[in-house]
Amino acid sequence: MELAQERDAGTNVIRPAGRVDGSNSADFHESLMAALSGDDNRVILDMGGIDYISSAGLRVLLLLAQHLSGNSTPFAVCSLAASVDEVFRISGFNQIITVFGTLDEAKAQLA
Amino acid sequence: MRRSLIITPVPGAAAAEALPRIVAFVEEMAELDDWAPDLVLRSNLILEELILNTLTHGRTSGLCDIEITLESGENAVTITLVDDGAAFDPLNDEPSPDTNLPLQERSIGGLGLHLVRTMAEDLQYKHADGKNHLTLVARSGV
Repeated sequence: MELAQERDAGTNVIRPAGRVDGSNSADFHESLMAALSGDDNRVILDMGGIDYISSAGLRVLLLLAQHLSGNSTPFAVCSLAASVDEVFRISGFNQIITVFGTLDEAKAQLA
Repeated sequence: MRRSLIITPVPGAAAAEALPRIVAFVEEMAELDDWAPDLVLRSNLILEELILNTLTHGRTSGLCDIEITLESGENAVTITLVDDGAAFDPLNDEPSPDTNLPLQERSIGGLGLHLVRTMAEDLQYKHADGKNHLTLVARSGV
Protein backbone atom coordinates (compact mmCIF):
# COMPACT_ATOMS: atom_id res chain seq x y z
CA MET A 1 0.00 0.00 0.00
CA GLU A 2 1.38 3.40 -0.98
CA LEU A 3 1.82 5.92 1.81
CA ALA A 4 2.74 9.56 1.40
CA GLN A 5 5.14 10.68 4.08
CA GLU A 6 6.84 13.84 5.29
CA ARG A 7 9.40 14.26 8.03
CA ASP A 8 9.98 17.58 9.73
CA ALA A 9 12.27 17.97 12.73
CA GLY A 10 11.52 14.54 14.16
CA THR A 11 7.79 14.65 13.37
CA ASN A 12 6.88 11.78 11.08
CA VAL A 13 3.60 12.42 9.24
CA ILE A 14 2.27 9.35 7.43
CA ARG A 15 -0.62 9.75 5.02
CA PRO A 16 -2.27 6.55 3.71
CA ALA A 17 -5.03 6.70 1.12
CA GLY A 18 -7.86 4.48 -0.04
CA ARG A 19 -9.67 1.74 1.83
CA VAL A 20 -8.28 -0.56 4.49
CA ASP A 21 -10.06 -3.91 4.60
CA GLY A 22 -9.27 -7.58 5.13
CA SER A 23 -7.71 -7.87 1.69
CA ASN A 24 -4.97 -5.26 2.17
CA SER A 25 -4.56 -4.92 5.94
CA ALA A 26 -1.38 -7.05 6.05
CA ASP A 27 0.10 -4.84 3.35
CA PHE A 28 -1.04 -1.74 5.28
CA HIS A 29 0.71 -3.04 8.38
CA GLU A 30 3.95 -3.74 6.54
CA SER A 31 3.93 -0.31 4.87
CA LEU A 32 3.30 1.50 8.15
CA MET A 33 6.05 -0.32 10.00
CA ALA A 34 8.46 0.42 7.12
CA ALA A 35 7.56 4.11 7.39
CA LEU A 36 8.76 4.32 10.99
CA SER A 37 12.27 5.29 11.97
CA GLY A 38 14.19 5.13 15.23
CA ASP A 39 14.72 8.89 14.86
CA ASP A 40 11.01 9.72 15.09
CA ASN A 41 10.23 11.96 18.04
CA ARG A 42 6.52 11.65 17.32
CA VAL A 43 4.29 10.02 14.70
CA ILE A 44 1.09 11.44 13.21
CA LEU A 45 -1.11 9.31 10.98
CA ASP A 46 -3.14 11.60 8.74
CA MET A 47 -6.22 9.51 7.91
CA GLY A 48 -7.89 12.16 5.73
CA GLY A 49 -7.49 9.97 2.63
CA ILE A 50 -9.11 6.88 4.20
CA ASP A 51 -12.88 6.56 3.86
CA TYR A 52 -13.26 2.90 4.86
CA ILE A 53 -11.70 0.89 7.64
CA SER A 54 -12.89 -2.47 8.94
CA SER A 55 -11.79 -4.40 12.03
CA ALA A 56 -8.88 -5.78 10.00
CA GLY A 57 -7.58 -2.22 9.61
CA LEU A 58 -8.30 -1.37 13.25
CA ARG A 59 -6.10 -4.32 14.22
CA VAL A 60 -3.20 -2.72 12.35
CA LEU A 61 -3.77 0.65 14.06
CA LEU A 62 -3.88 -1.10 17.43
CA LEU A 63 -0.58 -2.88 16.74
CA LEU A 64 1.01 0.40 15.60
CA ALA A 65 -0.26 2.30 18.65
CA GLN A 66 0.96 -0.44 21.00
CA HIS A 67 4.35 -0.55 19.27
CA LEU A 68 4.85 3.23 19.54
CA SER A 69 3.55 3.34 23.10
CA GLY A 70 6.09 0.62 23.97
CA ASN A 71 8.81 2.95 22.57
CA SER A 72 7.34 5.95 24.40
CA THR A 73 6.91 7.69 21.03
CA PRO A 74 3.92 10.08 21.04
CA PHE A 75 1.37 8.99 18.43
CA ALA A 76 -1.86 10.50 17.14
CA VAL A 77 -4.22 10.22 14.22
CA CYS A 78 -5.96 13.16 12.58
CA SER A 79 -8.52 14.21 9.97
CA LEU A 80 -10.84 11.21 10.33
CA ALA A 81 -13.65 10.97 7.76
CA ALA A 82 -17.11 10.72 9.36
CA SER A 83 -17.30 7.02 8.48
CA VAL A 84 -13.93 6.29 10.09
CA ASP A 85 -14.78 8.42 13.12
CA GLU A 86 -17.92 6.34 13.62
CA VAL A 87 -15.88 3.11 13.59
CA PHE A 88 -13.39 4.67 16.05
CA ARG A 89 -16.16 5.64 18.46
CA ILE A 90 -17.97 2.28 18.35
CA SER A 91 -14.76 0.36 18.95
CA GLY A 92 -13.57 2.73 21.70
CA PHE A 93 -10.41 3.50 19.71
CA ASN A 94 -10.90 7.22 20.40
CA GLN A 95 -10.14 6.37 24.04
CA ILE A 96 -6.85 4.60 23.37
CA ILE A 97 -5.52 6.59 20.39
CA THR A 98 -5.23 10.39 20.45
CA VAL A 99 -7.41 11.90 17.73
CA PHE A 100 -7.06 15.46 16.38
CA GLY A 101 -9.45 17.21 13.99
CA THR A 102 -6.75 18.46 11.65
CA LEU A 103 -3.07 17.89 10.90
CA ASP A 104 -2.25 21.42 12.08
CA GLU A 105 -3.86 20.75 15.46
CA ALA A 106 -1.98 17.47 15.75
CA LYS A 107 1.34 19.17 14.93
CA ALA A 108 0.66 21.95 17.43
CA GLN A 109 -0.57 19.81 20.31
CA LEU A 110 0.91 16.29 20.16
CA ALA A 111 3.66 15.98 22.73
CA MET B 1 -34.48 -3.53 -5.95
CA ARG B 2 -33.61 -6.91 -4.52
CA ARG B 3 -30.58 -8.90 -5.61
CA SER B 4 -28.59 -11.88 -4.40
CA LEU B 5 -25.00 -13.03 -4.64
CA ILE B 6 -23.64 -16.45 -3.70
CA ILE B 7 -20.19 -16.70 -2.18
CA THR B 8 -18.59 -20.13 -2.31
CA PRO B 9 -15.54 -20.81 -0.13
CA VAL B 10 -12.50 -21.78 -2.17
CA PRO B 11 -10.38 -24.40 -0.40
CA GLY B 12 -6.93 -23.04 0.40
CA ALA B 13 -7.81 -19.49 -0.61
CA ALA B 14 -7.61 -16.61 1.87
CA ALA B 15 -11.04 -15.56 3.09
CA ALA B 16 -10.35 -11.98 2.07
CA GLU B 17 -10.23 -13.06 -1.57
CA ALA B 18 -14.03 -13.03 -1.42
CA LEU B 19 -14.06 -9.29 -0.65
CA PRO B 20 -13.69 -7.76 -4.13
CA ARG B 21 -16.81 -9.58 -5.35
CA ILE B 22 -18.79 -8.39 -2.34
CA VAL B 23 -17.64 -4.81 -2.77
CA ALA B 24 -18.49 -4.90 -6.49
CA PHE B 25 -21.94 -6.33 -5.71
CA VAL B 26 -22.65 -3.56 -3.18
CA GLU B 27 -21.36 -0.83 -5.50
CA GLU B 28 -23.55 -2.07 -8.34
CA MET B 29 -26.69 -2.07 -6.18
CA ALA B 30 -25.73 1.33 -4.78
CA GLU B 31 -25.41 2.83 -8.22
CA LEU B 32 -28.67 1.36 -9.55
CA ASP B 33 -30.69 2.46 -6.50
CA ASP B 34 -28.78 5.67 -5.77
CA TRP B 35 -27.67 4.86 -2.22
CA ALA B 36 -26.14 7.57 -0.05
CA PRO B 37 -22.35 7.21 0.37
CA ASP B 38 -22.63 6.38 4.08
CA LEU B 39 -25.08 3.58 3.29
CA VAL B 40 -22.55 2.05 0.88
CA LEU B 41 -19.79 2.22 3.50
CA ARG B 42 -21.96 0.74 6.27
CA SER B 43 -23.24 -2.06 4.04
CA ASN B 44 -19.72 -2.94 2.99
CA LEU B 45 -18.49 -2.94 6.59
CA ILE B 46 -21.33 -5.12 7.85
CA LEU B 47 -20.86 -7.62 5.02
CA GLU B 48 -17.08 -7.74 5.36
CA GLU B 49 -17.18 -8.38 9.10
CA LEU B 50 -19.89 -11.05 8.91
CA ILE B 51 -18.63 -12.92 5.89
CA LEU B 52 -14.95 -12.94 6.86
CA ASN B 53 -16.04 -14.11 10.30
CA THR B 54 -17.93 -17.01 8.78
CA LEU B 55 -15.11 -17.89 6.37
CA THR B 56 -12.22 -17.63 8.84
CA HIS B 57 -13.38 -19.00 12.16
CA GLY B 58 -13.29 -22.68 11.48
CA ARG B 59 -16.93 -22.77 10.62
CA THR B 60 -16.28 -23.71 7.03
CA SER B 61 -16.72 -27.41 7.73
CA GLY B 62 -19.75 -28.37 5.71
CA LEU B 63 -20.07 -24.82 4.43
CA CYS B 64 -21.00 -24.89 0.76
CA ASP B 65 -22.16 -21.38 0.24
CA ILE B 66 -23.19 -18.07 1.71
CA GLU B 67 -26.12 -16.35 0.05
CA ILE B 68 -26.16 -12.57 0.39
CA THR B 69 -29.41 -10.74 -0.43
CA LEU B 70 -29.67 -6.97 -0.48
CA GLU B 71 -32.97 -5.13 -0.70
CA SER B 72 -33.05 -1.35 -1.07
CA GLY B 73 -35.50 0.55 1.12
CA GLU B 74 -36.11 4.14 2.18
CA ASN B 75 -32.57 5.39 3.04
CA ALA B 76 -31.81 1.86 4.16
CA VAL B 77 -30.89 -1.59 2.92
CA THR B 78 -32.06 -4.90 4.32
CA ILE B 79 -29.26 -7.45 4.32
CA THR B 80 -30.02 -11.16 4.55
CA LEU B 81 -27.30 -13.78 4.91
CA VAL B 82 -27.98 -17.49 4.72
CA ASP B 83 -25.20 -20.05 5.09
CA ASP B 84 -25.08 -23.79 5.57
CA GLY B 85 -22.03 -23.88 7.85
CA ALA B 86 -22.00 -24.82 11.54
CA ALA B 87 -24.68 -23.12 13.65
CA PHE B 88 -23.43 -19.76 14.86
CA ASP B 89 -25.47 -16.85 16.20
CA PRO B 90 -23.40 -13.71 15.52
CA LEU B 91 -25.68 -11.72 17.83
CA ASN B 92 -25.09 -13.81 20.97
CA ASP B 93 -22.47 -16.53 20.53
CA GLU B 94 -19.48 -14.24 20.89
CA PRO B 95 -19.27 -11.74 23.77
CA SER B 96 -18.68 -8.08 22.97
CA PRO B 97 -15.15 -6.91 23.72
CA ASP B 98 -14.46 -4.49 26.57
CA THR B 99 -13.98 -1.25 24.63
CA ASN B 100 -12.83 0.58 27.76
CA LEU B 101 -9.59 -1.32 28.36
CA PRO B 102 -6.33 0.65 28.20
CA LEU B 103 -4.20 0.48 25.06
CA GLN B 104 -1.76 -2.25 26.07
CA GLU B 105 -4.57 -4.55 27.22
CA ARG B 106 -6.73 -4.17 24.13
CA SER B 107 -7.03 -6.96 21.60
CA ILE B 108 -8.98 -7.03 18.40
CA GLY B 109 -11.02 -10.16 19.09
CA GLY B 110 -14.76 -9.72 18.72
CA LEU B 111 -14.49 -6.17 17.46
CA GLY B 112 -15.85 -6.95 13.99
CA LEU B 113 -19.10 -8.42 15.29
CA HIS B 114 -19.33 -5.62 17.85
CA LEU B 115 -19.20 -3.10 14.99
CA VAL B 116 -21.99 -4.97 13.19
CA ARG B 117 -24.22 -5.22 16.27
CA THR B 118 -23.82 -1.54 17.01
CA MET B 119 -24.09 -0.20 13.49
CA ALA B 120 -26.94 -2.34 12.16
CA GLU B 121 -30.60 -2.24 13.20
CA ASP B 122 -33.37 -4.83 13.48
CA LEU B 123 -30.96 -7.74 13.80
CA GLN B 124 -32.58 -11.16 13.73
CA TYR B 125 -30.96 -14.59 13.75
CA LYS B 126 -32.43 -18.04 13.48
CA HIS B 127 -31.10 -21.50 12.73
CA ALA B 128 -33.57 -23.30 10.51
CA ASP B 129 -33.43 -26.07 7.89
CA GLY B 130 -29.81 -26.67 8.89
CA LYS B 131 -28.84 -23.13 7.94
CA ASN B 132 -27.91 -19.88 9.63
CA HIS B 133 -30.31 -17.08 8.70
CA LEU B 134 -29.35 -13.53 9.64
CA THR B 135 -31.30 -10.42 8.72
CA LEU B 136 -30.32 -6.87 9.56
CA VAL B 137 -30.82 -3.34 8.32
CA ALA B 138 -28.17 -0.77 7.45
CA ARG B 139 -29.49 2.77 7.55
CA SER B 140 -28.17 6.03 6.14
CA GLY B 141 -27.57 9.13 8.25
CA VAL B 142 -27.99 7.69 11.74
